[in-house]
Amino acid sequence: MKRRDFFKKGTKAAIAAGSVPMIFTSCASTNDIVYDKPQDKWYHLGTGKSGTPNRKPVKNYDVAVIGGGAAGICAAVAAARNGSKTVLIQDRPVLGGNASSEIRVHLNGVNNIKGKAERETGIIEEILLHNRFENEQEAFPVFDHVMYDFVVREPNLTLMLNTQAVEAVMEGNKIKSAMCWQATTEKMFTINAPIFIDSSGDGLLAATSGAEYRTGREGKAEFNETYAPDEPDGWQMGATLLMSSTDMGKPMKYSPPSYAIKYTHEGGHKRRKFAGFHEGIWWIEVGSDDDIIADAEENRHKLMGYLHGVWDYIKNSGKFPEAENLALDWVGSLPGRRESRRFIGDYIVSERDMTEHKHFDDAVAFGGWSLDEHNPGGIENISEPPSYFYYHFKEVYQFPFRSLYSKNVSNLMFAGRNVSQTHIALSSSRIMATCALQGQAVGTAATICNKRNILPREVGQKYIKELQEQLLRDDAFIPKRPANDPLDLARKSSLIFGSSTSSGDAKNLLNGMSRDIDGKINHWQSDGLSADIQLEWESPTSISKVELKCDTNVKRNIMMRKDSRNNDLYGNHVPKEMLKSLSIQGRVNGAWVKLGKIEENRTRLIKFNFKPTEVTAVKIKMTDTYGTKNVKLFEVRCYA
Amino acid sequence: MVNFFKIYFWILIPFLLLNNSKQQQDGYKTISHEVIINHPGEKEPVETILEEIQNKNGLPIQYTMDVYSVICLEQVCKVIPVKLYWNNIGEYQKYELAKDATLEKYEADLFEPQDYIKLQSILSNNNSPFKEVYLDEILTVPDEHGDEDLDAVSGATSLELDEKDTVPGAALTCYTLWHWANGDVVLKIKNQTGKSVSTSQLQEFILDKNNTYFKIAINEFQNRKEFSKPVVDTIIKKVLIDSTLLRTTLSYLKNVSPELYFYALNRFFFEGEKEQKLAAIQSLRQTSHSISKDYLDKFSSKIKSLNSFQEVSLFLGLMEDKNSNSKVVIENSMTLLDADFLIARRSYWFLKNQELSNKQTNRLHAFYEKHKSRL
Repeated sequence: MKRRDFFKKGTKAAIAAGSVPMIFTSCASTNDIVYDKPQDKWYHLGTGKSGTPNRKPVKNYDVAVIGGGAAGICAAVAAARNGSKTVLIQDRPVLGGNASSEIRVHLNGVNNIKGKAERETGIIEEILLHNRFENEQEAFPVFDHVMYDFVVREPNLTLMLNTQAVEAVMEGNKIKSAMCWQATTEKMFTINAPIFIDSSGDGLLAATSGAEYRTGREGKAEFNETYAPDEPDGWQMGATLLMSSTDMGKPMKYSPPSYAIKYTHEGGHKRRKFAGFHEGIWWIEVGSDDDIIADAEENRHKLMGYLHGVWDYIKNSGKFPEAENLALDWVGSLPGRRESRRFIGDYIVSERDMTEHKHFDDAVAFGGWSLDEHNPGGIENISEPPSYFYYHFKEVYQFPFRSLYSKNVSNLMFAGRNVSQTHIALSSSRIMATCALQGQAVGTAATICNKRNILPREVGQKYIKELQEQLLRDDAFIPKRPANDPLDLARKSSLIFGSSTSSGDAKNLLNGMSRDIDGKINHWQSDGLSADIQLEWESPTSISKVELKCDTNVKRNIMMRKDSRNNDLYGNHVPKEMLKSLSIQGRVNGAWVKLGKIEENRTRLIKFNFKPTEVTAVKIKMTDTYGTKNVKLFEVRCYA
Repeated sequence: MVNFFKIYFWILIPFLLLNNSKQQQDGYKTISHEVIINHPGEKEPVETILEEIQNKNGLPIQYTMDVYSVICLEQVCKVIPVKLYWNNIGEYQKYELAKDATLEKYEADLFEPQDYIKLQSILSNNNSPFKEVYLDEILTVPDEHGDEDLDAVSGATSLELDEKDTVPGAALTCYTLWHWANGDVVLKIKNQTGKSVSTSQLQEFILDKNNTYFKIAINEFQNRKEFSKPVVDTIIKKVLIDSTLLRTTLSYLKNVSPELYFYALNRFFFEGEKEQKLAAIQSLRQTSHSISKDYLDKFSSKIKSLNSFQEVSLFLGLMEDKNSNSKVVIENSMTLLDADFLIARRSYWFLKNQELSNKQTNRLHAFYEKHKSRL
C-alpha cells in the first residue's frame, strides 16, 4: 500500500466494533504517547456493541500553522488564500493569543512614529477592520468571534481549536508530522504537511523537532548591542495578568482572596504608574531567568496573587479615592507571555539592524515599536522602572525573511516572538501587529514552497522577489521596496487620470508605493465625490481582475482599546477615509460596460474579478467613503 | 480642584474686562461679542467675551480674548490670566500677561525668559502636537518624555513630545493656551470678520493673496445672498488664476441666476487653463439648467485647442449627453481624428454614434481601416 493511500484510509476510520486501533508506527514515532485504547471497555448502549473508539485521526495538509494568535492567523490565511490547503492549530478555545478575551492585550503595532502611526496593512488590517464593522461595542469576547469568523470563512483553511501540537515526527531534518492533542475530543491527530509554521510563541513543536533555539539575554559583545547587558544571562521578560473594573455607582468593598500577595508600592520607581489602573496594570508581570515555560504555572499563581494584592492596595490603601465605586468585573487567569524560546534562522536580527535601519534584500516585514525591554524581575523588582524604553524609532525598520525559518530544520518557519532575533530586538518586534506581518510573510512563502516544491531557504535565496511581490500585491508593506509586478497590466497603460484632484497625482497609483512615507506623497486624492480614475491602453487588453488600494489612514491606529480612545492617533470606528461604494467599467468597442460594483466595501485592498474582457480603458467610479468628502487611492492594478 | 479654579476664573472675567478693555486708539473701535467656545480642557462649553478691534473704516484688524493658564501643585491650583491676540482671519498673533504675573511649571519653577519665547512659538504653530493630545495624557504624564509602555495596557500612554514642541514641565499650560489660541475661536473670528465688513471690502477679500479671505468672503456673500454680476466678475478674476478655489466657487455659482452661471462657465472654459476648463465641462454635465445648443456649439470651436485626453473625453461626453448630432460639433470633432491616437480613438467612438454626412462617414471608415486592431 502506498503511504498516501494508507493515510487516506486512516482518515476514514470511525468507531467500529472490533476495529483494530490505528497505531501509525509506520509513519510516526508515537512510542511516548500515553494513549492506549485496548484497555477501553466501552459498551455502546445505542448499538449494543463494545469496542474501542478510534481517536487517532491522520490529516494531510499543504501547510500546518501552529498557534492561532495574530501571527498564526495571518500565516494561515495567507497560505490558504494563495492556494495551499492549510490547517491552523490553536491550543486555546479562542483565537487571538495575547489579544484574545482570555488575555486582552491591545493589538499594538507601529503605533507612534513622531506622533503618527505607521500602521500595518494586509491581513492584520483586514482583521482589525472586520472588528470595527462587527464589534462596534468593542467587546473582547466578541473580538474572539470576529477572528473566528475571519478564519473559518476561508474556504481553503481548517481550524482546530483546543488542540496543541505536542511533538514533531522527523524524517531526516524535516518535520514529517505534528502530533496534536485535541483536549476536547481526546484525539491525538497526526498532521502531515510538507511545510510547518510555528507561530505558537513558546514553540513546543519546533523545540521537539530539534530546531536550534536560545533563551535569555545576549551579552553586549555578541551583536555589539548598546542596550544588552555586559554579560549574557538567562533573563526572559515576564508574563502579565490583566484585569478590568467597572464603576458600580456606589461604594464597593473589596477583600483580597487567600492567595493575594500584599502590595505596598514602597520603594516603587516613579515610572511605575497607576494611570488607567481600572483597565489593568501591565507591570503586574513575572518573568524568569531560567526555564520560563516550566515556571509558567508557578508564575501564574504568583501573578494572580499580585493582581489581587495590587487591587487591594488600590481599593484599601486610601490613596485612590477615585477607586471607591470600582469593582473588578473581569480578571485574567491566563497570563500574556512576552518571551521564551527564540529559534535560530539563517540570520539573527539584533538591535543595530533596527536602530541603524539596515536594508535587507529579503525584507518581508517591518516594525517600529520602541526598544521596550521590561525590567528584570518584573513586579518582584519594583525599584526599577517597569520597562526601559531605550530607543524610540523615528522611522520603521525592515525584518528579513532569513530570520523566519529554521537554520537546521528545513521545512520549518516561524512568525511571532519566537523568530530568530536577539532579546533586545525582541523587545521591539514582539508587538502583535509586527508578528502578524511576519505571519503573512511565512504563510505566503509556504505557498511558494508548495507550488515550486522547494524549502523555505530556497525561497529566500531564489524566489525572494516573487515572495515580496506577492506580499505587496496582497497589501503588505515593505519599507523602501516599491512593487514592480511584471504581470500588472495597469503599468502598461498609456494614460491614467482622475476626474478631479485635490492632492497627489493619478500617476502615483502606478508607482508601487502603497502609502505616503519617507516624506513622499504616493496617493491621488479626488476633489469631492463622486470621482473617477481612468486608465487608457493603446490597444485592447484582456483583463479579468482590477485591484485597488484605498486609503484607511495608516497614520491613525484602529486596534480596539479598552479606553476606546478616539483622537487623531487612535480611532474607535471604521476609518472615515475608507472607500465605501464604487464600481468599475471597461470600454469595449467604444462603449462602457459594467465589470463590477461594490456597495459596502470593508477592506483597503479592493478586488474585482470578472470574466476576461478585452478593453481599451478602465474606469473606476467612486461614489462614497465612510465619512470624508474626498476619496484617496494608493494603487490600481489590472491583471489578465 | 482644577474645575473650581476655572469656574472662579470665569466669574472674574467681566471684572478683568472692565479693567482691560478701555484702551482704544484714535478712531479705532472695540466691539465685545459674547461667544461660546468648546475647549477640550473644559467639560462644558465656555461662555466668554471676544473683543473685535476695527479701524476707522470699520475693517476688523485684531481680536483679543482673556483666557487663563492653570497650574496645579499638590491639589492647589493657581490661575494666571492671559490675553491672546489674533488677526482678522483668526491667526494667533501674541499673548500678554497681566502686570507682575508670571507663568509657572510643575515643580513650582518659574518660566525662564526663553520659556516665554518658546511658548509664543508653540502657540503660533497651528499644527502643534497638542492638537492631537488628550487632557488626561497631559495630566497623568508629568514627565513629557515619560516612558510608558502601551503593550499590555490600558490607560497609560507614551506621550512623546519633542522638546521643541513644549515647555518642559509646563505641558498643561502649553496645552490649555494652545487650544485657546488655535481652537474654536478661529472660526468665530472668521465669521465675525465676514459679518463686520462691507460688500466692497469683501470683494477686496476675494482678490487677496491669502485664500482664507476668499473663503470668508464667499461664505459671507452666500449668507447675504449677494449674487450680483460685479461680485461674480471679481470671483471669476480670482479663480482664473487659482484653480484650487474652483470647488468652492462652483458651489456658490449654484445659487446665482442661470444667466450668470452660464456666463461664468463660459469664461472659465474660454479663458481658463485645463483645470478651469475641466471644472466648467463637469459642471455643465451635472447642471439641471437647460443649456442652449448654440452655447455648446460655441464651446466646440475650442476643441482643437484642448490639450489633454481628459479634456477632450469629458467634452465629448458632455456633447453625447446634451448636444448629440450637432453638425457644428461633429465638424469640429472630425479634426481630432488626426490628433494623438488616444484622442483620435475617443473622437472616433464619439463620431461613430453621430449622424454623419457621407464624406464624414468615409473619413471615419478610413480611420477604422487604419486602426481597427487598436480600437
